[in-house]
This record gives sequence, structure tokens and C-alpha cells, in this order.
Amino acid sequence: MSELIALVGPALHMLAAELPSQAPQGHNRIAAQAAIGSLFSLHILIAGLVSGAGELGPAIEFLGFVRQRRRYDRLAHGLGRFVTLYFSFSSAIAILLITLLPLFIEAWTFVLQVSLAYIWYYTWEPLRAFKGLHMAIGGLLAIASFLQVYMIDIIASYMLTPTNPQNPLRLALNPTSYPLTVHRTVGNLAYIGFAFGAFCAIRFLRARNPEDKAFYDWAGSFGLLWGVAMTLLQPIVGYSYAKEIQLHSYGSWYKMMFGTLSPVFLWQITLLGIMFITATLYFGRRLRTDGARGSGLLRAMSVGLVLTTLLAAMPYHLGFTYADVAAAGLDRPFWEGGLINPLGSMIPWKVLALMFYTLIAIAAVVWYLRGLPGVVWGGARRGEQRILMLMAVLTMLMIVTMGFIRENSRGPFLISGQMTIEGQQNTQNPQPTPTP
Amino acid sequence: MGRIAAAYNWFDERTAIRSLIRKGLYEAVPVRGAWFYTLGSATLVLILLQLITGIFLTLLYVPSVTEAWASLHYLSQHDAFGSIVRGIHLWSAYILLFVIGLHMVRTFFSGSYKRPRELNWVTGVGLFVLVLAMAITGAFLPWDQAAYWTAVVVTNIAVYTPFIGSFLRALWRGADTVGPTTLSRTFGIHVWLIPAILFPLIGAHLALLRKHGEFGSYVNYRGAYRSREGVDVPPAPKQRPIEPPYPAVPTDELWAAPLETEDFYPHQTFKDGVVSAALVILVFILAVAIGAPLEAIADPATTSYTPVPEWFFLPLDELLLLVPQQLIPLVLVLPTGGVLLLLALPFIDRDPERNPFERPAVMVPGAFAVLFVVILTLLGSGRLFNL
Repeated sequence: MSELIALVGPALHMLAAELPSQAPQGHNRIAAQAAIGSLFSLHILIAGLVSGAGELGPAIEFLGFVRQRRRYDRLAHGLGRFVTLYFSFSSAIAILLITLLPLFIEAWTFVLQVSLAYIWYYTWEPLRAFKGLHMAIGGLLAIASFLQVYMIDIIASYMLTPTNPQNPLRLALNPTSYPLTVHRTVGNLAYIGFAFGAFCAIRFLRARNPEDKAFYDWAGSFGLLWGVAMTLLQPIVGYSYAKEIQLHSYGSWYKMMFGTLSPVFLWQITLLGIMFITATLYFGRRLRTDGARGSGLLRAMSVGLVLTTLLAAMPYHLGFTYADVAAAGLDRPFWEGGLINPLGSMIPWKVLALMFYTLIAIAAVVWYLRGLPGVVWGGARRGEQRILMLMAVLTMLMIVTMGFIRENSRGPFLISGQMTIEGQQNTQNPQPTPTP
Repeated sequence: MGRIAAAYNWFDERTAIRSLIRKGLYEAVPVRGAWFYTLGSATLVLILLQLITGIFLTLLYVPSVTEAWASLHYLSQHDAFGSIVRGIHLWSAYILLFVIGLHMVRTFFSGSYKRPRELNWVTGVGLFVLVLAMAITGAFLPWDQAAYWTAVVVTNIAVYTPFIGSFLRALWRGADTVGPTTLSRTFGIHVWLIPAILFPLIGAHLALLRKHGEFGSYVNYRGAYRSREGVDVPPAPKQRPIEPPYPAVPTDELWAAPLETEDFYPHQTFKDGVVSAALVILVFILAVAIGAPLEAIADPATTSYTPVPEWFFLPLDELLLLVPQQLIPLVLVLPTGGVLLLLALPFIDRDPERNPFERPAVMVPGAFAVLFVVILTLLGSGRLFNL
């Protein structure tokens, strides 16, 4: 015990010490930003997973009930176990939050989510004869998980597109709260699909009995399919979100599309293409393993996705400011005398690329589903499992990239146009007036 | 025999009303999915509500640019009953669009459009388009600011039709700009042209429905008949010939006939009545509590007015906002292409399989289309809130 106190004591002492009166400067500032950025990324990676599981688990249970398939029930139960295991640690944070900040509504939605997650998981067997009631509890958990995301999105979106804080309705429905919530909810649902796909891939490789192998093979495929299906919605939802940022926080939008963040944005759209290509490769391989129909066409679709990704990945410019681009004479298409590669522009080429992504990926999902009756679960090869694991890594990269872009787009402001990170009120003009 | 019974017998002898009623009421319908079937009857009830309130409104409404707004303003300010009637007309139109959309989605997902019900589906798609056309043309008629700018935007969409776009716009507008002729033509289309096609199409849809019977997602209807006493008997060949089992796979009995059936009356009529009554009450409450808004009279010269689309236009409006200028014609092709695809659906998807989980080629694109429409509507409504 004394060793423990000796270890923890100094840390507690440091926490209790007064905070420095000045914000970090120079290298310290970079270190602070790196620390905050890493913690933030870790936070959204874990939170997204739990929210997604709280929404997807009940949906899978319902699907299993409709289709009368035991394996759906097993998968939903597994997701329930994950959520309760996670909350066995983090529910302490909820209790701490409502104790310290009893008027913080977001904390109460967290409490609601934790409570329903426990009830849903621990009543699985007792309510087996009353499946309707159990699914209703699951439905409430899904709603609570959605509310939890919405609550935190009100704050996050307000920081980017602030409105009158005195009006709670305006605050809750500020211009980007809606698109951000839809974007995140769909994203969380995709993320949990990819994540449990990767988890099942690992379990498949370690499984010894045929029944487990068949289950994890199927569950991995289901997770990937679910993840791709949800990701298909993201181009239009994400584009709509970007449009709202353009309409209501032009400076941030400019920074993302034309300014210092545009190369990161380019990476993001390329990453989306890589995700679709990887998923299509899995679909094709999995069908080919069992000689099911459709693998040839899926290979052709992956070629189409590669071409689309090349179209999407064309850089608009590689300068870090719009002024650099204009100075180089690259700010207009070649038919207007500019030197820029016309394919690099967002409009209409990247928009077309997003449309192609969606259409080809929908076709890939359809072809994979059509070929599934010819698949015998349990016979997958190691290559497919590696692809499932890669998909989870790519998704995490995507989430971190998006978080990076969004959080940095409003810099140097903490609340866009109103308060800087140092706490000063509106010290700079947040709206540059470019001529894109 | 009482006098009423005698009169009824006299009437029946001349019109065969008794057998007509019996034929209409006593028919076996599947037990499973019965509540889903109420959407069709609810659609019919709402269309009839539209007809009745529309007739009342034409008694007062004047379709001219100088009188249209004034007549409705008089209605809303000085005629409490007329104001409620206008509210019912508006809200029943909104709910009708929602219910007919749900009805189509149900039919699509349950595979009810398959052989031999292809023409039920085609007439249903026609009805959906006509109801949408009624809603669009109806939005022009109040001739307030919202109506005027809706007319400007909607008639302008016609110009994107390949080759004849300018001609179509000029035909509808009656001039280069929206004006008196546009209003009178739209009124004519709203009260005469569309209903003249709509009501015969409803008749055809109902006749086809009775011919082929109702259908649930995992069962088909072959025409087995249950009498009022609950005894299962096959139908008399002259009254109702037994159809071949669909799909025509003799071993697949599940598709051939419903697992359980019950009489249309009183079982299905009760459910239909409950849903329809609930919707009518909802319409009435909305008509009294919110009513039908009437903005300031149309002013083409204004520069301060921000036009807001009707809610059923939100998905298209959001899409138009999102896509770049160069791709707008492509977006406007989408609704036309979508309708053509819907009309062709039963002829493209000829596989007898009806289980939604077993026909991904249709279900996945269909589910995405529905999801896109829902998401675009949500995003559009969020944007309007922050205008």
C-alpha cells in the first residue's frame, strides 16, 4: 500500500497544484496540442465504438428475431457484453459527472445509456420468453445512445457554427448539429461493424471447433457488409455537412477546401476510396474461396473503384495557402488560361467521384449478397481475415482524420469567430474573403 | 316483412345490390400483415377527403391573380368553418403524401408487385405521381408569396426537359413569366385534368386488387374462400376462378395461398376503419390547431422574401443545393428516371421470390433510395430551421 501511495501521491499533488496562468507557448504549445489531439482521438475512437454498439446490438437482435436465426442473437449478445464490460469501467465517469455537474444534461443521458445497457444485457436470459419486451428495452438503449451522441454534438457543432446561446432550441438545432449528428450516428454504426468484423477475424483464426469457425466467419462478413452499407450513406451526409459549414462558417470551410487543411481533406477522400476498394476485394475473395458466383464481376468493380479513387485523389493544388496557388497561376482551369489540373477541383469532379463511389459500392454489396447462398461459412482463408482487420484500421484512420480536420478548421478559435483558444473574445476576423 | 325490407328487396331486384355488397364485403383476406393493408384504404379515405373539401373550396375560391388571395383571405378571416375546411384540405394532402408513400414502400418490400399483380403496381405508381402532381399544383393556388415563388421554381424545372423544355415551360406559364394564365391553367389542371385521370385509375387499382386479392410478405393469395359461417370452401368457378399458384412452382405451397385467412368484413374493415378514423381525427386536430397558412399576397417585385419549399420537395431541394451547377440537369433527371424505374420494376424483377432477405438485387438499392430520401429530408428541414 505504501508503495502505491508513493507512486500515486506525487501525481495527485501535481493535479492539485495551481494551473499555470498562461497558455503553453512555443514547443510546450505543440506538445500540449499533440497531447490533447491524441486524447481526443482516443476518446472519439472509444466513444464511437460504444455508441455504435448500443445502437447496432438491439438492431441485430431484432433482425435475428425476424429471421429466426440463432447466430444473430449470439452476435447481439456479444455486443451487449462488450458494452457492459466497457461501462463497468466508464460508468464511474457518469456518476462523477452527475455528482459534480447535476445540471449537465449530457451526463444524465450518459447515465440513462449505462443503465439501459445493463438492463438490456442482464435480462437477456430472464426475458427470453418475452422477446418483444427485451427488444423494446434494446430499442430504448439505441435511442439513449443516439441521444448521448446528439447531446455532445450540440456542443461540438456550436463551437463551429455558434448561434444565440440564450435560445435553447436554436442552440440544439444550430446549423451543423443536425448534419453532424446524422454523420456521426451513421459513422458510428459503420465503425462498430468494421470493428467487430476485425474482432471476429481474430477469433476465427484462433477458433478450433467448426461451429465457432462458421460463426466467426459469418459474423466477420456481416460486420464488413454492415460497415460498407453504412459508409455508403456517408458521402451524401458528409457533403451536406460540409455545405452547412460553407453556408454558416465560411472561414472554416475555406480552410478545409482551399487552405492548410486541403491536403488532409484530399487524403480523406482517397482513404474513402481505399476503404471501398478493400471491402470489394474481400467480397470478391470470399465468394471465390467457395466458388460462389459473382467474384469476377466484383473484381471488375474494384477496378472501377480504383479509377474513381484516382479521380477523387487528384490534387487541386499542393500549396498550403490559396495565395500560393493564385501566385502560381493555378487558381483557374486550363481552358480559362490556368495551369491547374481540372480533375483536381472539387466541383464537379470530386462530386462525381463521390457519386461513383456510392453507385459502385451499392452494386458490390448487391453482388456479394447475391453470391452469399453459395458460401459455406467456416471455410474462409487467412487473407480474408487480414482484409477484415485492415478495414478496422482504415476506419480508425478515417475517424481520426475527420476529427483532425473538424477540430482544426475553426482555429485559432475555440468557438468559431467568438472566442480564441486563449480565451480572448473575437480578436481576429474569422471570415477571409477568398475568390475560389 | 317491414316496409324497409320490402323497399330493400324492391331495390335489390332491380340493382342486385345485395350480391354486390356480399361480393364486396365477404372475401377472404390474409390474417398476417392485416394492419399493413390498412395503408391502402387510408389512402383512399384521404383522397375522398381531398375531393369533398376541394369541392367546398371551389364554391368560394376565385382562380385569378387579383381575387385568389383575397378569396382565401376572406375565408380565413371571416369564415370559421371555411377556414377549417381549408385546413383539412391542406393537412389531409400532407398526410396523404406520407401515407401513399408508406403504402408504396410496404408493397415494394413485401414483393406484392410480382406476378400476377404487375398492373396493380403500375396503376399504384401512377396514383402516387398524380397525388404528387395534385400537391404541387395545389401549392400554386393561394397566390401568396410562397405560392408565387413555388410557381416560379416549379415551372422553371420544366425547362430542363431535353429538347422541349422551353416549350413546356411556356405552355404551363402561358407567357414568359408566371402570371394570370399560369394560375388559371394550374387551377384547371388541379381540379379537372388530374382528377379526371386519378379517379378512373383508382377504380382500376381497386378492381385489380379484388381480382388478385391482398398479399402478405410470405404468403400469396390463391382465392380460397371462407364463408360467413367460417367454413373453408373453394370459390365457385364463375365467381372467382382459382388462379394458378404464383410463383408457378407446384412444390412451393407457401407462396400459393395464405396460411390463415379471415373475412374482409368485419375483420379487415375494422382495422381499416380504426386507422382511417385515427388519420381523419389527426387531420381535423391539425386543421383546427394550426390551420392552413396564408402569407402576404404575391409580389413578384420583392427582393426580401426567402422562398421555402414545401416539405415534400425537401429531398430534391437539398439535392439541388448540394450538387454543383453543372450537375443540376442530372439531378432533375433523377425523379423522372426514378418513376420510370418504378414503373418497370415488376417487369425487371421477375423472380418469384418474395422474401425481402432473399432478393438483395432489388432490396439493397431500394432500401438505399428510401434512406437517401429520408436523410435528405431531415437535412433539408434542419437547414430551413436555420434560414
